[in-house]
Amino acid sequence: MNHSSTAHSASLAVSEKSVVPGIAERTDPRVVLAARVDQLYGQMWLGILATFALGAIATFELWELRLRELVLFWWGLVLLITAASAALLYAYRRSPDKEANPEQWLRWLGIAALAAGANWGFAAAVFFPSHTDEQQVFLAFLLVGMTAAGIPVYASSWPIFALYAAGILAPFTYVLATFGNRLFTEIALLVPMFYAINVAIAYRLTRVFHSGYRLRHAYGRLTEDYSVLNQRLERQLVELEEARRQVEASGRKLQLFAERAPIAVLELDAQGAITEVNHATELLFGYAASELIGRDFRFLVKPEFHDEFYRRWKRLVDTHASEAGLIRNTRRDGIDVVCEWTVTPLVNPEGTIIAVVAQGRDVTAQREAERVKKEFTSTLSHELRTPLTSIIGSLQLINTGIVGDVPPDVAELTVVAERNGQRLLDLINDLLDIEKIESGKVTMAPEVLPVDEVVREAMVLNRAFGERFKVRFEMTSGLPGREVTADRKRLLQVMTNLLSNAVKFSPEGGAVEIGLRENGPNVRVAVQDRGPGIPESFRTRIFGRFAQADSTATRQKGGTGLGLAICKRLIEMMHGKIGFEDRAGGGTTFWFELPRN
Amino acid sequence: MPDRPLNRICYVEDDEDIQRIVRMSLERVGKMTVEVVGDPTMAIDAINAFKPDLVMLDWMMPKLDGPALFRQMQQHAGIKALPVVFITAKASQRDLDELMAMGAAGTVSKPFSPKDLPDQLREIWKKLP
Repeated sequence: MNHSSTAHSASLAVSEKSVVPGIAERTDPRVVLAARVDQLYGQMWLGILATFALGAIATFELWELRLRELVLFWWGLVLLITAASAALLYAYRRSPDKEANPEQWLRWLGIAALAAGANWGFAAAVFFPSHTDEQQVFLAFLLVGMTAAGIPVYASSWPIFALYAAGILAPFTYVLATFGNRLFTEIALLVPMFYAINVAIAYRLTRVFHSGYRLRHAYGRLTEDYSVLNQRLERQLVELEEARRQVEASGRKLQLFAERAPIAVLELDAQGAITEVNHATELLFGYAASELIGRDFRFLVKPEFHDEFYRRWKRLVDTHASEAGLIRNTRRDGIDVVCEWTVTPLVNPEGTIIAVVAQGRDVTAQREAERVKKEFTSTLSHELRTPLTSIIGSLQLINTGIVGDVPPDVAELTVVAERNGQRLLDLINDLLDIEKIESGKVTMAPEVLPVDEVVREAMVLNRAFGERFKVRFEMTSGLPGREVTADRKRLLQVMTNLLSNAVKFSPEGGAVEIGLRENGPNVRVAVQDRGPGIPESFRTRIFGRFAQADSTATRQKGGTGLGLAICKRLIEMMHGKIGFEDRAGGGTTFWFELPRN
Repeated sequence: MPDRPLNRICYVEDDEDIQRIVRMSLERVGKMTVEVVGDPTMAIDAINAFKPDLVMLDWMMPKLDGPALFRQMQQHAGIKALPVVFITAKASQRDLDELMAMGAAGTVSKPFSPKDLPDQLREIWKKLP
């Protein structure tokens, strides 16, 4: 039995080393100890039961009148030890945190084992010399049996077994050695050897148990890890499934967009061959998808533009950057269309073009509309200005007296006619201006300007207009030397607008005050009047087109309602801002700010 | 700046009303001598005959527009050095820049002030090399 146990432990040790190297090291030694302690307590009841039963038998066998008190005392010790051991077992089982302190429970168990062993040792020491030969044989057999039975009971902890067996065999050896019988003396010499062999077996068993618990625990942890891993994998699978569904949905959406999009969408391969087209492509070019797929995209490009197309395609392939621009295409019916294309390569992580998506829309009609609009603007400009040149020029020649004196009534009427001709001209100029600004045709010519000087120049240029309304300009605060980056002509245009507006709404004999100051990183130019102020209902649309608060004033003093809209757009094009506020004591302050240089 | 004052102007314009106003402006306000040519195709001969100090061309004219006439003038040795001022209703800065790039001495926008026109021309004249 000993032999097989050793072999078994060796095989376990081998398997632990060879099969799970590293796993056992991952185990927590305290958890392993707690498991061993649990195992010891688990079979403790066997020891208690055996002690009680064999104690009772021994008491019966050793019962003699002259030793009655001593036997009864020993029996009392047996009962006390079994009761204490049972109490310990009960306490252990009821303990809620026994795993937290395995060392303590092991110590208690050690004490209990030592007490049990010592009790049997006491029996040997007291009863062996005083009994008959038969009883001595019985006692020796009992002691050896109890010692041997301790091996499986305490196998999980060889030191406990060593204590237990020492408790039995040490007094027994002493008794045998001092008995005076040669045979007993020889047996006394064998008993320590018997003890050593048993302790060695217990030691081997302890190691086997220890390895077993470590492995069990390691595998327990592996199972736990596996379970956690499994749960994580399951979660990831769910997420992946969700992601797949989303990708699929996105793909369907994209497909739907492409299919239903009013623009032509073509998928090409890296060589420019068409691999897929949407319905808008079929409508645009007049070919069915099946007629287009597999053909080179150049088939749709007008031959004169093949070189340019090839050049841009090569750039796209070389740089992997999108290309956008106009290309003249040919439809099935031979009609040329100008299309605006955006061509984007789809590149995989390895840097290979896997597809090219070309999106195009027919801009032929739009370009024609732009051309017509431009022609219309040009016509408006020329055909209205030319007669106005004659009208205003003639009236100016009369009104300045160059062609001689005219009767006062006539002179009054020609002044009215000239003023209204000028209004018409202003309207045309403003209309053309706003149209150009909004269609992005106005380009700025920015230069570094001394803002103070430009403002003074605008005051000089508009002085005559002010005098006509008996309004003067006063500069309340200047900013000599401060510079802004702006378009001089456009800045003068803004100033002229603000000054003329202020003049129109100022009372006769009043003054328009112009002030410059720094406001953070900006230079602020403010034009202040003493007019009636801006009505509440008009404030939100004051910078809109054809915005006028009081049509009476417009009729009296002229104005197109486009001036502030133009100012706002021009100032914004110069990276500034424009606004207005009520002036304390009545009137309005219009201001604009430009970034200081 | 030329060493003599600006005096003789040849003006090529198809619109008779504007012809009249320009003539009045230059003659009465500017005290200049003006030759007005209504048919741009006759302009080269008229310029050769009149020998002006400065030529004013309308941009948009039937048969031959101002820029085309200007290019024709460049082909004639006797008149190609004459300063040319365009008078135009075209409002865009790009158009005006285009004219200057062609070699025009200056531009006057329509509508112009007849009172100020002679001074505008004299300013251009002063800036000539």
